[in-house]
Amino acid sequence: MKNFYIFTATAIVITIFTVLFVPGADDYVERIFQIYLGRAAR
Amino acid sequence: MNLFKRAVIVVICLLLIPFVAVATAGAKQRFEDGPNRVFSGGPLVAGELYSGSEPDWSFVSEIPTIEMQLLNPSQSRRIWIAEYENKIYVWSGYMGNPIGRIWKQWPIQAERDGRAVIRINGVRYERQLQRLKSGDVLDGLTAIITAKYPSATTRAAIEVGDVWLFEAAPRG
Repeated sequence: MKNFYIFTATAIVITIFTVLFVPGADDYVERIFQIYLGRAAR
Repeated sequence: MNLFKRAVIVVICLLLIPFVAVATAGAKQRFEDGPNRVFSGGPLVAGELYSGSEPDWSFVSEIPTIEMQLLNPSQSRRIWIAEYENKIYVWSGYMGNPIGRIWKQWPIQAERDGRAVIRINGVRYERQLQRLKSGDVLDGLTAIITAKYPSATTRAAIEVGDVWLFEAAPRG
């Protein structure tokens, strides 16, 4: 499990930096979120 | 049991990654000049601030979405707009739905303090949001809305509170 926790922590850090600094990544996340939110609200 | 506990932890950890992605994107948008899609943006800064007589709002029928910022709190979002009898209107659906009410905070905030700034084609307009709950104007207005958008906005939906409708009136 220790390796899995390290993997998760690394993935979270990479995710944060990707969304913050990779052009278009934030928009992609928002687009996917919009789809699921719209479905949930119906 | 131990296996079940581990499986739950793995699922939670994996769900944490998209949750963090969404939270980060939402937080990032708060520092931007205006909204993007569903996440609120920061105050509307760029663009000429319109002054003068009330414009001819008929051009709004060609505009799919506008950016709207409340003064309190000073967050902005992208919303639909309709024009009827040279008055402009904004609205929020899903207000009869618990998830919708969590998602759509701005109508509740606008009812408390309706001062707003809208930005259309790069021009900012100072407006006062005034909620409409009933009236014959709703018949014509909802016809305009449903013709313009794939929307289930009806007079009945507004009157029962499933849709909150605001006139974006001139700020006096």
